[in-house]
Amino acid sequence: MSRACAPGLALAERPVPAEIVVGPSSAADDVLRVEHIAKRFGPVTALRDVSLHLRKGEVLGLLGDNGAGKSTLIKILCGFQKPDSGRIFLHGKEVELKSVDDARSRGIETVYQDLALVDELSVFHNMFLRREHVHHPLPLLANHLMRKDTRKALDDIGINIPRIDVPVARLSGGQRQAIAVARTANSDADILLLDEPLAAMGAKEGSMILDLVARLKREGRVSIVMILHNYIHVLEACDRVNMIQDGVIALDKPTAETSVEELTEIVVNEYRRARLANQGAARQPAE
Amino acid sequence: MASATGVPASGDPAPATGAQGRRGWSVGQGALGLFKRFLTLREGSIIVVTVIVALYFAASTDTFFTTENFKTLLPYFAPFAILAAGEVFLMINGEIDLSIGAVYLFTPFLFYELHNGGVPLLPGVIIAMIAAAGVGVINGFFTAIIGVNSFITTLGTLFAFEGLTLIISHAQPVATPGAQVTTTTVNVEHVVNGHHIVLPETVNHIGTFARIFGGGTYSELIWALVIIAVLQVLLSRTRWGLYTVAVGSNRLGASEAGVRVRLVIIRNFILCSTCAGLVGILEAVRATSVQPDTAGANAILLEAISAAVIGGTLLAGGSGTVVGALIGALFLGILHDGLVLQGVNANYLALYLGLAIILAMVINTYVARVRTGSGLG
Repeated sequence: MSRACAPGLALAERPVPAEIVVGPSSAADDVLRVEHIAKRFGPVTALRDVSLHLRKGEVLGLLGDNGAGKSTLIKILCGFQKPDSGRIFLHGKEVELKSVDDARSRGIETVYQDLALVDELSVFHNMFLRREHVHHPLPLLANHLMRKDTRKALDDIGINIPRIDVPVARLSGGQRQAIAVARTANSDADILLLDEPLAAMGAKEGSMILDLVARLKREGRVSIVMILHNYIHVLEACDRVNMIQDGVIALDKPTAETSVEELTEIVVNEYRRARLANQGAARQPAE
Repeated sequence: MASATGVPASGDPAPATGAQGRRGWSVGQGALGLFKRFLTLREGSIIVVTVIVALYFAASTDTFFTTENFKTLLPYFAPFAILAAGEVFLMINGEIDLSIGAVYLFTPFLFYELHNGGVPLLPGVIIAMIAAAGVGVINGFFTAIIGVNSFITTLGTLFAFEGLTLIISHAQPVATPGAQVTTTTVNVEHVVNGHHIVLPETVNHIGTFARIFGGGTYSELIWALVIIAVLQVLLSRTRWGLYTVAVGSNRLGASEAGVRVRLVIIRNFILCSTCAGLVGILEAVRATSVQPDTAGANAILLEAISAAVIGGTLLAGGSGTVVGALIGALFLGILHDGLVLQGVNANYLALYLGLAIILAMVINTYVARVRTGSGLG
C-alpha cells in the first residue's frame, strides 16, 4: 500500500526511510522457519509477507504495534489459524499445521494472550487440559496424580499458588498468567509461543515469568517466541528481536546489536510513513 | 484459643461466660461453618429447600410419608430426572435443547411403527433410541457446524418432530407394544372358619420387557438412579465432562487449548436426545399407551429444564450438576404431589408451582452469591 503511494514522499518535510521488508533468512540449527506467510480476514490484511526463523534454544522477541499482526502470526504458528499462503518448516521439514492438536503433537505449545484458561476448572485441571492423566482401563481422570504433578511443576518453577484445587477464576491476573506459562513450560514441547506473557502482571510477577524464561533458556531444551510490548523486557530476556510492522517483518537483529532508541525509531518512522501515505491519498495537508 | 489457657483475651467482651459458654459458642460456630460448607455445594441449597418442602408436606398431611405415596410420586420425578440430566450437559455447554419434548413424543411412536413392521421388541427399542440419537446429531450439526443458535435449531426440530409424530400416528393414540397387561384367573385356596374354599381371583401380568422398560413399579426410579450416577461420573470424572465445562466456561480458550469444541457440543446433543428417547419409551410402556399430545410434550420439556435449573445448573453455561438435576426433579415432584395431597384446587396448582419455583430460585441465587462472595470460608 505505502509503496503505491511512494510519490507522496515528495511532500515530506523530512526524508522518511522507505519500508524495510526482511526476507527469509535461516540458520543451520533452526527449529522453526516460516517463509512468506500471508493472512487476510475479509478486507483486513493481517500479515502481508512474513518470514522468520527460530534457532534451537533461542529466545526470539516479537515486537510490533497493536494490530501489526503479532497475534495472528502466533495463531498461525500454533495451528489455530491457517495462513492464506506461505510455508512453515519444522526442523527443516515443511509441515502443514492442521490444528492446535496437530501443532502440539509436533512440539509447539502456546500461551495465548487470553490465556486459554477455563475459569470454572481447577488449577490442576487447567494445567493438564488436553493432556489429562487418566486411569486404565476405565478412562476416569486421575485427579490425584494431576494434583501431585501440578504441585511439583509449580514448585519447580517457583510459582506460589496456595491452593491448586480452586477454580482459576479465584486467582489474580498474575497467578493466572503464571499458570498459563507453567502449563506450557511443563509440557514436552520444544517450541514455546508466548503471546504477551507479561500482560496483567505486577512487577514482581512479571520478573517471576522472566526468570522462568531465563531458566528455560539456560536448560536449552526449548526455543521460545515471545511477544512483548516493553522494549526493556525484550532487550533483557531475548537473544534476538524481530519487529513486525504493518504485516511484515521490518527488523531482525540480535538484541545485543540494537537499542531502545533504534526500536522506537522504527515505530516512529512507520507512523510518519503512514501519515504521508494518508496525505498522498487524500491530497490535502495534515492538520 | 485464649480460653483454653484460662486467660481471657484482653478486650474480650464477656469473659464471665467462661470456657463452657465459649465452647458452646464454638460448637455452634462449627455447625454453622459446616452448614455453610454444605451450602457451598452446588446442590446444597436445593437439597435444603427440598427437605423443607418435604417436611412441610409430611407435617401437614398424613399420607405424604407412606410407601403408597412414594410410588405415586415416582412418575412425577424419575422421568424428569433423566430428561434434566441430559439437558444439564448441554446447558453447561452454554446450549439448550428444546427438542427433548418432541423426541420424547416421537420415539415411542417410532417404536410402535417398527413393531408393527415386524421388528421385535428389544431391537425396536434400540432402533428407536438410535433415531432419537439421530435427532441429537441433527441438532448438533446445525448448532456446532452450521452455527445456528441452539435455541433456534432445537425449536425447529421441536416443531418438526412433533409434526412428524402427528403424521405417522394420524393423531391417534396407540397401544405401546410389549406393554399389554394380561389378566389370568387363578384359583386361590382360602381358609375361612376352618373350611378350605377355593375362589377364583384375577391377576395382572406384565411381561419382562415391560417390567424392565418402565412398567415395573421401580423401573423408572432404577433407570433414573443408574443414569444419574453414570452421567455424574461422566461429568465430573472424565474428559467428556471436563471438556463440557471447558467449552461452556470459555469456548475460545478451550478451542485454543485444543479441545474439539464442535465434537463436544455434538456429542452432548446426542446424549441429551438419547435420554429423551429413553424416557419416551419408559413412559409409553408405563402408561401402556401413547397419546400424540404435543402440548403435554412441551410441558414436559419445560419441567425438565426447570429441574435442571432448580438443581443449580446455570442457563448461561459453564457450571452444573447432574445430581442437582435429580434433586431439582425431586423437588418439583414433591411439590406437585404434596399440593395434590393437600387437595389444592387443580386450577391453583400451576400457580403455586410457578411461585414455588421462583422462590426456590431466589434462595438458590442468594446461596450462590454467598458461595462466590465469602467463598469456602
